[in-house]
Amino acid sequence: MTAVSPEQGDLGPPGRQALRLFVRNKAAVFGALLLTAIVFMTLFGSFFYDQDPSRIIARPLQGPGEGDAPALGTDYLGRDVLAGVVNGGSTSLTVALVAVLLVIVIGVTIGAISGYYGGWIDVAFMRFTELFQVLPALLFAMVIVALFSPSTRSVAIAIGLASWPQTARLTRAEFLRLKNLEFVKAARAIGASDFRIIWQVIFPNALPPLIVSITLIMGAAILFESGLAFLGLGDPQSQSWGLMIGLSRQTFLNGWWTVTFPGLAIFATVLSFSLIGDGLQDAFNPKLRGR
Amino acid sequence: MKQITARIAWSLGLILAVIVMCFTLIHLAPGDVAIVIAGDSGAGDPEVIAEIREDLGLDQPFVVQLGGYVGDVAQGDLGTSYRFNEPVTDLITTRLWPTFLLVGTAVSFAIVLGVLVGVFTARRPENPISHGVTVFSLTGYSMPVFWTGLMLVIMFASNVRWFPVSGMRDVRLDGNWLEEWIDIAHHLVLPSITLGVIYLAQYSRLSRASMLEVLQSDYVRTARAKGLAERRVVYKHALRNAVIPVVTVAGLQFGQMLSGALLVETVFNWPGLGRLASDSVFQRDAPVLLGILICSASLVVIINILTDLVYRLIDPRIRVGGAS
Amino acid sequence: MDPLLSVRGLTVTFGSFTAVEDVSFDIHAGQTLAVVGESGSGKSVTALSIMRLVELGTRGKIEAGEILFRNSDGEVIDLVRQREDQMREIRGNQISMIFQEPLTSLNPVYSVGDQVAEAVILHQGLDKEAANERVLDMFRLVRIPEPEERMAQFPHEMSGGMRQRVMIAMALSCDPKVLIADEPTTALDVTIQAQILGLMRDLREQTGAAVLIITHDMGVVAEVADDVVVMNRAKVVERGPVTQIFESATEPYTQALLASVPRLGSMTGLDKPAPFELVEYQP
Repeated sequence: MTAVSPEQGDLGPPGRQALRLFVRNKAAVFGALLLTAIVFMTLFGSFFYDQDPSRIIARPLQGPGEGDAPALGTDYLGRDVLAGVVNGGSTSLTVALVAVLLVIVIGVTIGAISGYYGGWIDVAFMRFTELFQVLPALLFAMVIVALFSPSTRSVAIAIGLASWPQTARLTRAEFLRLKNLEFVKAARAIGASDFRIIWQVIFPNALPPLIVSITLIMGAAILFESGLAFLGLGDPQSQSWGLMIGLSRQTFLNGWWTVTFPGLAIFATVLSFSLIGDGLQDAFNPKLRGR
Repeated sequence: MKQITARIAWSLGLILAVIVMCFTLIHLAPGDVAIVIAGDSGAGDPEVIAEIREDLGLDQPFVVQLGGYVGDVAQGDLGTSYRFNEPVTDLITTRLWPTFLLVGTAVSFAIVLGVLVGVFTARRPENPISHGVTVFSLTGYSMPVFWTGLMLVIMFASNVRWFPVSGMRDVRLDGNWLEEWIDIAHHLVLPSITLGVIYLAQYSRLSRASMLEVLQSDYVRTARAKGLAERRVVYKHALRNAVIPVVTVAGLQFGQMLSGALLVETVFNWPGLGRLASDSVFQRDAPVLLGILICSASLVVIINILTDLVYRLIDPRIRVGGAS
Repeated sequence: MDPLLSVRGLTVTFGSFTAVEDVSFDIHAGQTLAVVGESGSGKSVTALSIMRLVELGTRGKIEAGEILFRNSDGEVIDLVRQREDQMREIRGNQISMIFQEPLTSLNPVYSVGDQVAEAVILHQGLDKEAANERVLDMFRLVRIPEPEERMAQFPHEMSGGMRQRVMIAMALSCDPKVLIADEPTTALDVTIQAQILGLMRDLREQTGAAVLIITHDMGVVAEVADDVVVMNRAKVVERGPVTQIFESATEPYTQALLASVPRLGSMTGLDKPAPFELVEYQP
């Protein structure tokens, strides 16, 4: 990839070209539409399907279309599975969003400083990053959540703390690559401060791979959140797809629908992020298409 | 050789840092373990609590506790589980090999099949199977692993009863070692497919990409110009180069696989480390959790070193010069 | 004398693009034919077509023409109509090829000795030990210093010139009748270029192989060629003995190619290099 000068930014011709390529990519557009639909369902679904997911409305474990069961059947207590699916996304999406924000703040800061300054700062920061990389993320997050009592906030923080090293490494690699290019030297030559060079000169040019990576991390964070909820380490008060599956673990052999539909919802959400991330990757790097 | 020694020394330091960090973290957690334990034995009596505190050394200053713990770990003693009242080291060792078996099977399955699929799709990109594989490799790693497991159970252990629903052995079985192993293998099929599928998706995609690149390379053209049969060109000259990125990625993903195994073990009631971890979490069994964190971090470090060695075996460019 | 290799009316397409159109030329034993042209003129595709590698590694297709080759049994066969397994008998054995990029043309994960030995074992049926002896002889022939040590080395441990010598050793290891060299010196330093060209000239004399050299460099042509074929935009535009081409090229394209070789002293008195004149060839 050739370097893009900072003036061209992400709104300039390269950004527009990437957008054009993205829109032409059918899988990516499908992913974007899927995500839009899921977000819409999460935000406004309860207006269209007004059913309390925690209320017992019918006999337990009735399949779709059986007796007086709702469209997607009832769970082991007789609660409406469809209502759970419609309402279960808010926790996952909120947690993932907060966790990813945390990942961006920690990862980008550490990576940028490490890559830009190099030397002992780089060594120290990277060793610190390695410390987090050798701990299996889910295990680490699980311990944090369990020790500091499960809540939406602790889950988001735990996921963020367990996921930032990848972003730090990527940011560092981009900064290492970019910091010796001509336009950075030029900025340095006219006396720009380090702060300005890092955030206004290099950072915008490191954005394309970061955006791709963050999109994929968003999907991974949703998997992460649903995994923790499945283990019973979510906020017990909240509705969540992972929690629905976790609670149905003992009874799922008597009611496949109680785990299948919430799982499909998680799958669809993560898939939408994967497809978007893939599309962005191709759009930013047309040469790598089909890889 | 010098590099390897330095690497090992650094790894020991890393593990020490992990120990300090995790110990501090657990120490910072709110809630008093002594009260938890005392509550469990039925008495909230302050005297009992004080006694438990003294027993566990919790009345000592933090630095003394930490120092003591590090010293114990160095001698292979990870403390005693609050709940099981057994040495953590024993608990972990008995749970270690089922996890190894699961992760090892899953990763072997994913690498071998993934590379074969990658080679096939790179050579015949227009084949309908290749299109199917492309779709699978995109969707495969978006599936929550615990859900994949439950779906496989519904399909292959409930609808058709080909495989057991959960566990690692059939307790009713009373046979010789061979029958026991067959029984374990039978129990292993669904969990290892569940865990392997995510990585199968990734590796088939990765090896397809690297195979496509390698097949366009000049040295493959040289191999063809020598008069070698296409099979030999692909499997001798191209494959070894194409597999390098797959090995690298697989090695780096070991920690992630342990995380996946944690969920898979929970779904299938597989008696491994992950199951031990998820049990201990709810009982706030700090020594066990700490032990598992340290043990898995050490495993990740060891696997990283091993991957490095394998990588050096495959790619002679790394052996000399010593680029990281 | 009958030609050893005769390309007649060769046409190669990549999808709707015609890379080589109705190209014909002959190569005689012990002679060197240079195919000259800019990149994209179709000269490399022509070479790959003779090896029938154009359909194997790329998406090209030989649409028309024949490539007649007098094989070691004295029969004349049309390479275009050989089956893939028959071609494998010929490739690397009776016709071999060296490529432009010595840096990337050798497999990074195998030792250079093994890579050369592979061809010998395949075509001459030698066992590993005899093959290694043969490789050693070849390394000596192409003047690789310390051949025993070099055999165990990997490509990344060698310089570009050494690697190209290994490629030449590999190509000559089975005593080919035709050696195709696609820009063999382009990627090398000027001094190494001269060494490799000298080596190729000597080896042609020693082995009596016919050489087809592909190049864009008129300097190389002057150094090694007996006959010259000039290609531009997929077609042959001029052909003839090397002296004739250099002294009295009739085609403007050939004249332009010749003019692109700077002459010593041609820029005396100028304050900067004079721009080249771009010649658009109109058929």
